[in-house]
Amino acid sequence: MSTETKPTAELYERVDALWTTVRDQFAFLRRDPMAFAGMLVVAAFVFLGLFGPYLAPHDPIEHTVRGDGGSVLRLAAPSADAFFGTTAYGKDVLSQFLAGARPTLIVGLFGGLGTGALGFTVGVVSGYYGGWVDELLMRLTDLTFSLPFMPMALLLLTFMTPNIWLITAIIAAFLWKMPARVVRSEVLSVRERTFVKSARASGASDLRTMLYHVAPNVLPIGFLYTAYGVAWAIAAQASLAFLGFGDPTMTSWGRMLRQVFASGNMRVAWWWVLPPAIGIAAITTSVFLIGRAYEEVINPEIQTDQ
Amino acid sequence: MSKFQRFLLKRLAISVLLTLVAVSVIFVVLRLLPGSPFEALVTSGNLNQEQIDEIRAMYGLDQSIWVQYVNYLGSLLTFQFGYSILRSQPVWDVLEPRLINSLILLVPALVTTAILSSILGMYAGWNRGSRLEKFSIVSTTLLRSTPVFITAIFFIIVFAYNLEIVPALGMRSIRATPDGYVETFASLDFLHHYILPFTVAVLYYSGDFLLLARNGVVEKRGSEFLKLHRAKGLTEMEQLARAGRNSMLPILTYFTLRLGMIFQGLILLEVVFSWPGIGRELVLAIQQQDYPLVQAAVFIMALAVILANLLADVLYAYFDPTVSTSGGGSA
Repeated sequence: MSTETKPTAELYERVDALWTTVRDQFAFLRRDPMAFAGMLVVAAFVFLGLFGPYLAPHDPIEHTVRGDGGSVLRLAAPSADAFFGTTAYGKDVLSQFLAGARPTLIVGLFGGLGTGALGFTVGVVSGYYGGWVDELLMRLTDLTFSLPFMPMALLLLTFMTPNIWLITAIIAAFLWKMPARVVRSEVLSVRERTFVKSARASGASDLRTMLYHVAPNVLPIGFLYTAYGVAWAIAAQASLAFLGFGDPTMTSWGRMLRQVFASGNMRVAWWWVLPPAIGIAAITTSVFLIGRAYEEVINPEIQTDQ
Repeated sequence: MSKFQRFLLKRLAISVLLTLVAVSVIFVVLRLLPGSPFEALVTSGNLNQEQIDEIRAMYGLDQSIWVQYVNYLGSLLTFQFGYSILRSQPVWDVLEPRLINSLILLVPALVTTAILSSILGMYAGWNRGSRLEKFSIVSTTLLRSTPVFITAIFFIIVFAYNLEIVPALGMRSIRATPDGYVETFASLDFLHHYILPFTVAVLYYSGDFLLLARNGVVEKRGSEFLKLHRAKGLTEMEQLARAGRNSMLPILTYFTLRLGMIFQGLILLEVVFSWPGIGRELVLAIQQQDYPLVQAAVFIMALAVILANLLADVLYAYFDPTVSTSGGGSA
């Protein structure tokens, strides 16, 4: 029966098309030097997030670096014993840096994906149906715009013990409003196009029209804002950790910065400050640079907002 | 009633409703917090049951949750935020000077960055593809995507620790004992402490305005009205001025939104620089579980956002009649 083979053929076609798209995008990114540099940084960061904790020469929290005489090395400048120096508590900065990439990657990836997926869904549904559905969903986004993110996140994290998934959830719960609005306004224009109208006229269900005709046309914007969501999530996670509201069980770059700041050693221990600070700055900037390169292509008219 | 008035009324009603929801969320979250600031006093055994009851009654904690909620709403409406538990001072007395300290840092910074980076952005957009455009985009992307406390840390290390030209912490030197706002802010000592956080705030916000202005001009460049101006023989700069004027609206709206988000955005900045502002006070109050102070600070921040959103929507609808006044807010 053709019902058996047709979807499979279609699937192959789609996968092929997807693969071509990926290759095209890659070629495109290579032409933009800043975006290409950003991509290299992101790749390095993902590698660190996946394998960093295994590469770390010591346990970031348990292990204490000792010098030749057996005494604990506190605030030691980079040396052969510890390539990135040690913290005020005698811990190895390099190990903390390597292990600290993981929570940053987890929150960034899932916070960004959550933000993008939630915002995309709300935007498509809201724009497609219009009427009271739209009104309701948009008032909901107004509400998340009105609740200030930082203070609310701090409040919630005092009330619940911070852990990495909770932080991810809070970030996604507050940030989905950005993609939602942009996607919605895109859907409003796509909805009026002939192919959507004819799909509906030919009897396609709302769900089918949304999935096959509307969504693919606003997908690029959705991806773009997912990428921005990743950068926002990383920045938010680092900021919360810096304020002392991070996951207490995991070493993260934000937490390292908090420790060097709170211990009052920022003035002396540059080797303790620079690795996490540069790490966070590099990854967020890279994601934004890639996003900017795309933004011009996807929609030259789009206004940068937020 | 004109269409605009109807829009205004609707938007106003929505804002009131949003405020109500926002303060309710704050109330609920705070009631759910485990423990209370009095617990430390109680467990230390320094108080007897009678004294505990007395204190609880003083803060209205002995009443039912609904009575507490109604009292809370009433107190917010009249800006009576109650009594700070740890500072033994009315909340407003604690917050007012800190609010002023925040505003004096952030408003001038935001105005400065809005003007400077918009002009730069327009110029960059006009000279599309130039080295200046590329450089300004990359550098402002770096500044706006990096969390503000990291930029601040870099600046402190370079300018305060290594070059030693400015102090790293605080708003006045420790020995200064100014009396009143004029004495506090009109001094070289203050300026000396001000310059670094001010610069970091300006740089942090520069990216959004720059990109907004650049995109606006890039978009206008090819448009018909500029061709007319070119045909009329206006110079490049005159043409740019006209293109720029026509992309002011999104910048203006964005400025309003940013103004509303200003306190929360720079909580981190205040913490890094030990700036005695409302954001830093909020973090301290949360750590010390000083409920009345926390709810007042979060309320002020939420109110600022709601008012700014309202203002931005109204400005947009007022200045740009082509925008539908029936739909949701502006993007």
